[in-house]
Amino acid sequence: MTSKDPNKGYVAILGWSLRCIDALEKFDRRYLIVAPKWAEDYAKQHDIPFLSWDFERLNDRSFELATTLKDMGVDVAIPLFEETVEWAGAVNAVLLDNPRLLGQSMLFRDKSLMKRRAQLGGIRVGIFEEAMDHSDVIRFLKRVNQTLLKLDGDPNDPIHFKAFDKAGCLGHRVIRSPDDVAAIADEEFPALLESHLDGWEFAVEAWIKDRKIQFLNISEYVTLGYSVFVPATPELEKYREAITKQIERLIEVFDIDFGFIHPEYFVTNDDTMYFGEVAYRPPGFNAFELMERAYGFNAYQALVLAFDPKATQEELDAFFPTPVKDAMGHAGCFGVYPRRRVVSELSVPEETENDPYFEFHELAPPMETKVTKRTAFGTHWGLVYFFGEDPHRLRDLLKAQEELDFYV
Amino acid sequence: MTMTSDHDPLPAVTRGFDRMLTQLAEASPAAKLSYQGRVLDAARRLLKLPGGVAELEARAGALDDAGIFAGTDWAVPSGLVPGMVGNTLRAADSRTVALECLSLLRFLAVARGEHAPPGLPREHAHHFLTQVLALNLDSILGTHGEAARALAHDLTPAVDGLLKRLLEGVGTGGILTRLVDEVWRILRQRPLQVDHVKSMILQIAIAMEREGGGIGVRDARTGADRLISALFGPSELCREDPGLEVYRARLAASDPGALQAEATGMARAMHDTGLVSDYHAAFLRFILDSGQTHLLPDALGLSSTGLDALRCYQPLVQRLIDVAVHPGTAQAVLGVSLMLERGIMYSPPIAPSLWRLLETSLTPTCEAALNTAFGTAVSPHQRLVGGMLCLLGQPLGVGQGNNPTCQSARALSIWALNDPDYLFWLLAQVTANDRVIMYFEGAALDSSLLPAGLAQNTPLDADPVSVLLVPHLDRIYAEMGRRVADRPEDPHRWINPELHGWWVGREFHIAVDIATGMLKDYAQFIRDFHLAYHPLHNGNEPVVHPQPAGIAVTDSNGVFVGWHAITIVRVALDQGGDMRVYFFNPNNDSGQDWGQGIVVSTHGNGERLGEGSLPFAQFASRLYIFHDDGLRTPLAVPVDDAKLAQVRDMALQSWARDRIAT
Repeated sequence: MTSKDPNKGYVAILGWSLRCIDALEKFDRRYLIVAPKWAEDYAKQHDIPFLSWDFERLNDRSFELATTLKDMGVDVAIPLFEETVEWAGAVNAVLLDNPRLLGQSMLFRDKSLMKRRAQLGGIRVGIFEEAMDHSDVIRFLKRVNQTLLKLDGDPNDPIHFKAFDKAGCLGHRVIRSPDDVAAIADEEFPALLESHLDGWEFAVEAWIKDRKIQFLNISEYVTLGYSVFVPATPELEKYREAITKQIERLIEVFDIDFGFIHPEYFVTNDDTMYFGEVAYRPPGFNAFELMERAYGFNAYQALVLAFDPKATQEELDAFFPTPVKDAMGHAGCFGVYPRRRVVSELSVPEETENDPYFEFHELAPPMETKVTKRTAFGTHWGLVYFFGEDPHRLRDLLKAQEELDFYV
Repeated sequence: MTMTSDHDPLPAVTRGFDRMLTQLAEASPAAKLSYQGRVLDAARRLLKLPGGVAELEARAGALDDAGIFAGTDWAVPSGLVPGMVGNTLRAADSRTVALECLSLLRFLAVARGEHAPPGLPREHAHHFLTQVLALNLDSILGTHGEAARALAHDLTPAVDGLLKRLLEGVGTGGILTRLVDEVWRILRQRPLQVDHVKSMILQIAIAMEREGGGIGVRDARTGADRLISALFGPSELCREDPGLEVYRARLAASDPGALQAEATGMARAMHDTGLVSDYHAAFLRFILDSGQTHLLPDALGLSSTGLDALRCYQPLVQRLIDVAVHPGTAQAVLGVSLMLERGIMYSPPIAPSLWRLLETSLTPTCEAALNTAFGTAVSPHQRLVGGMLCLLGQPLGVGQGNNPTCQSARALSIWALNDPDYLFWLLAQVTANDRVIMYFEGAALDSSLLPAGLAQNTPLDADPVSVLLVPHLDRIYAEMGRRVADRPEDPHRWINPELHGWWVGREFHIAVDIATGMLKDYAQFIRDFHLAYHPLHNGNEPVVHPQPAGIAVTDSNGVFVGWHAITIVRVALDQGGDMRVYFFNPNNDSGQDWGQGIVVSTHGNGERLGEGSLPFAQFASRLYIFHDDGLRTPLAVPVDDAKLAQVRDMALQSWARDRIAT
């Protein structure tokens, strides 16, 4: 364990992640893991500073958590998962004596509020609406396609249906017909409805300190929900300047002093950028690990620097590499979903495993032989990691994985 | 673009492997878990490539140090059981297979002296690999049966290659001879659990059949033949292993003389090896069914003592055989025979206890535990009766299996030896109520209300009585430990007499100070041990009851390995006129090299079945806890200082090296 510097910040991590703990064990900041009780034994066993907390229960105990942390001398709380974002907001409002942080975190947690705020701030977003029940969805689907001057019987342009408060692709459905609407369960409401944008979707990871972007990464999606790689191809990187402007806009509109954001955008054929959504926590799909592979810096440690009120600009400058230029190559990963209805074993295709870009996989053997039908963009069964020099080859390789069976 | 075929992928895959190995090595202890999977996956790929095993072999020590085994069942290599390796290597999950392969390579590195993890002496590693090889000769020789072929996976060729590599590492010269010697050495200790020995013998038989005069077959021939025939053809009518059906038909057609020859042939093979053939079981059932019970004494190989016991309790013994002896549970024959020989049935509670056991019905929990451990070929009740007979016949044959329960195994052995009706009573409590109640300093401890002890799961790799009793005993032992945890002395001072029985000496001697771990009054400790146990010093008083004792186990370099529970059974002169301590070690195999020339003997120095022995001074040099009954004799002979110094020097140069109080 790296020795801790008492003059630097003392951070509380909201959420349990072994990778994050590993990063902190090797970092000079004092830390405390705030996570559910089930992790306590493991933490104790490995001497990890730990506070047991039940994030399931409502926010009414957030003040208790905040004062507990304050009494311990904690400087700031860092959320790891969607569910802990508003807890971090509430806690930091107390720790940093800035009530605005709670309201800000609520914006990040509610996709509909988030979109309105962006729209009010002059950021371009697609058409969206809140849906309380099935009839709202049908009406939105109809109205959008009317606008597109479609006639009855023409194939509909799809719309997107997203749970208000879920991370990433969880609860995200693509709706094309009233039949799709009927498949939505009652408990998935309320939800956000969005028009479909034909374009290139990508994600950004930005570390912010003193309202300034400290490091900006562009993650290129090959296929949404399947694959991502960093840094992006030159074709996407050419938008870096435009993207940076967008992020600066976001910082203004959402009033972000510090921390880490993970927004998603579309860029359409005419180079217009549309804002999708933004999260105030590390991205899924293990993008942090991809960045570590590509650039060699630990993204969790970067997270701590961006939150720590005691971190200095010199420290940040020394920590981050130069985007794209300093990358040792391109790192990507592919999320595997079984393609067959019945599977009995994990079998990584030879052509995947023998590819020189292949690194390793984190696929588990199947626990059940019957594969449940995917209704929304569901949870993948594990990730396959690649690394190589040529971004185009990597992109094509990731695309090719979609046609392969990892479970047979 | 994909890899071209003339390009060797090994360097690239090795580079990738090394990168992940570094990640694992640099990860903090808490995060090892999250990097192990990818390293195992990369190891799996290396295994499949030509030359990959060598790359892994070179990194075996580094992998261990990096934490590839951290948090897994493989983390403590000394606790691994050779008999389980084969199954793991055939597991469906390729990462488990890879982990087992890396573990074997670690043993190889240790055996070669290239790697030295704590608690795994070089000899132990070598020994372990020999047994693994013996149990998996079919993979090495390529004699996979149909069943193995059906289970083959894409790593099977790699695993076979790895085993061959291990064979090269351990040495091919005379491997069969050594295996045969190994089997004999184990069998002479008469373990209750002989399944792994039987499968080793089967492998040896197949190897000899195939190899003709190859890997050391000729030297091994005689010893092996006796083992193989004891299992597969112990007598005239089954010499060529004709199958049970044919054998029964032959018995039915035999004259009295031939049956008599069968009876003595079977018994001779059984007492020679400690193994019982299924033919023997079939023979016993045949003579009972055909009313020829006059052959029973010869078929059991009884002496006049056993014969007299049989005559006194013939109906009971026949019922026991009828219930417990079947093809598949043939070892119960040896149990019956040796139980009769011990004469314990003359003790008033024993015969009624056996009748009670015969009539008892098991709780569903007991039935489920026995079925899980042994399968359903015979009923759980039949299995238990057979197990009890074996334990009573071979009290020193019980082993703890791969479980941290040496205390419980030792207790079972002591009761079987010294207090069998109490053992029956404990078993009756469990079979009737799924609990054991014991009293600790007046307070009742109910095992069904206590949390799990040292063993987190029911031990499955043990004998039937252990399977039922150990979970309860283990909890009670742990609870007794909790109740004395705040006392400033070693808990065994109070636990041992309360757990085992009144006859454990209440005077407690310990060589070290509990708080500091340093030696305390060590010279006096050795002197006391002589005065309590050495017949030439204690007025020629033998050990009356087996006594629990604690030893500091050391490896062959004399380096401390750990504390361990044993039983002092006897102290007596051996054939050569040396005073020896005969003791029981519940760790499945007593024959161990403790360094400084101290090698525990299991045969040839007057040991009875299952005993290990050492010359008195050598034993004393590893002892750290013993109990004494506190009776003083006026005939005590003082111990001269030279003798004490000799013992103390052996201790100070080994386990007590860093325990000298300054």
